[in-house]
Amino acid sequence: MKLKIWILTLMLVLAFGESVHAAETLSVDIFGPGQTRVNILVLPARGTNGQAATTLARSFGEYVSGDIGFLPFLRLAYLTEVLGGDPSKGVKSGDIDFKPLQLSRIDLVMTIGGSGQDIEARVYETFTRKLLVGKAYSQVDQGGVPHVADRFCAQLMRVLTGKSGFFDSTLAFSKKVNGGKELFTASALGRGLQQVTHDGGFNVSPSWSKDGGKLAYTNISDLGHRLGIWDRSSRVSRLRRFPGNIAISPTFTPDGQIAISLSLNGHPDIYLLNSDFKASQPLAPSWAISVSPSFDLSGRKMVFCSGRLGGPQIFILNRDTGVVDRVTYDGTYNTRPSLSPDGRFVVFARMTDSGHRIFIRDLVVNQERQISFGPGSDEDPSFDPDGYFVSFASSRGGGTKIYVTTRYGDPARLIPTGSGDAMAPAWGVAKALD
Amino acid sequence: MNAKRIFGLILMLGLLVSFGAGCAKKTADSMPAGATKVEISDKDTDWQKPAAPESRSLTEDEIRAQQREQAQRELGNMIFFAFDSFELTPESRDVLTSKADTLKKYALFNIVIEGHCDERGTSEYNLALGERRAKASQQFLNQLGIADSRMTIVSYGKERPLDPGKGESAWSKNRRDEFKIQN
Repeated sequence: MKLKIWILTLMLVLAFGESVHAAETLSVDIFGPGQTRVNILVLPARGTNGQAATTLARSFGEYVSGDIGFLPFLRLAYLTEVLGGDPSKGVKSGDIDFKPLQLSRIDLVMTIGGSGQDIEARVYETFTRKLLVGKAYSQVDQGGVPHVADRFCAQLMRVLTGKSGFFDSTLAFSKKVNGGKELFTASALGRGLQQVTHDGGFNVSPSWSKDGGKLAYTNISDLGHRLGIWDRSSRVSRLRRFPGNIAISPTFTPDGQIAISLSLNGHPDIYLLNSDFKASQPLAPSWAISVSPSFDLSGRKMVFCSGRLGGPQIFILNRDTGVVDRVTYDGTYNTRPSLSPDGRFVVFARMTDSGHRIFIRDLVVNQERQISFGPGSDEDPSFDPDGYFVSFASSRGGGTKIYVTTRYGDPARLIPTGSGDAMAPAWGVAKALD
Repeated sequence: MNAKRIFGLILMLGLLVSFGAGCAKKTADSMPAGATKVEISDKDTDWQKPAAPESRSLTEDEIRAQQREQAQRELGNMIFFAFDSFELTPESRDVLTSKADTLKKYALFNIVIEGHCDERGTSEYNLALGERRAKASQQFLNQLGIADSRMTIVSYGKERPLDPGKGESAWSKNRRDEFKIQN
């Protein structure tokens, strides 16, 4: 019996073990100057021993193709681009004729095999014929196919780029419910959509804690503003009042504190709350409105929106020195900043003659450019945990929905969030709720 | 002598009372067969007005509800703001002066001042702006003698537009303060 297990393990290592070495062969620098675009062909699913492909395997292939559409560094190629059509007889390297793929400039080829409730998927680099990713999934049912496809694509993205935050994180957002707004969560691809709060009133501005265990948000009702904290483990939310009239844009710092805009001195300033929810001295105080704090991964840099110079503009606070610098100089109305985890880029919404648009500013080279182009209004930008994708709310399709682009301004893709308006997306590192 | 006079006076009073009683009401004790019984009364009647139904006095709660309704009617006027501004216009100051009078007249009631914004601008900045708008009204009313303790502020930002339409016509209606009786 033990011998059988050893033989089986050895076979699996031989079958899929090449990926470690192969990962060194091809990689995509998604943060580099000018993105590399890699052509990938997903071959039609096959059954074992020449049998027809199972419905599960075919469905898996469709979901993977859909997922690849969200990754701007991959271009989904079509079989019609390959001279002579399908160059494969099976799902393994020896079953594939790589030459026509190389001639058609296909960089990666994916094969899918399926038998019963088992699915096998492999991605080969066509020029080296090496296996980049190989995964086998057993006991898969139809409902689990999207999740399995997402996991495979997360692995593929990890191998190619070293990052997979897009697939491994959860989006929280506000959604209109019964005349108010409640918070929902879903994966970045809209899977596992769930309503997580039932407070009544308007729940807005969700923000994840660093470990994805809690959501902070603002609840607005006839009782005024309250800070809401939703706990992922207990799935219960608690509301808390503060002196003054507001409790706006609560944001978790990387070390687990909450920065929130309160009007303790007659105007909205940003305060850090301690573990007893007591506010200390304001961060970057001024006479004017200060809201929407966002921190880098170190927690030492904070961007925020303030009207201290008249109209709303974006500023950055160096918490070590206490120095506040202005970030935006163009436009008269710049709001809702989000700082990339490395502290280098700020995305924000700017009011233009055509509506709000998302812009990005590189704080190192002091350059700015537009990354969303409407139509309608694009608001509430938020960086993903890798600092590569940017989600935002847009009214381009009529109602307000959530879209995702990259910091390079790639074409925006709609994230499915069901019927009704959805806005204020926030990324968390935890996986979507089951 | 005195006793005789007192006796005489009592006798006269007794006669007067029995005479008066006889004039007030006459009742026919015996009636012919087939006649309708008629009760005759000489109670005063106001021929000009129909007799009013007996009026019930309002309860304290009903009076309060009436006053509340009246106060809310008088406080119903909203004030409006320019884009990204919480400055009170001269028209707004007039409206608020009138509201101060109402609040003095109905001293029992407290109010909620709701600050609202148009759909432009992001939610968070608008929540802060709505608070500043409501606060501007609160401070003005306070200067006119209304205690801060009678006024509560709630900013809804752009969450509750009065007019869900697009364009300045709708937006100008949505940049507003509303005043509602709280208690």
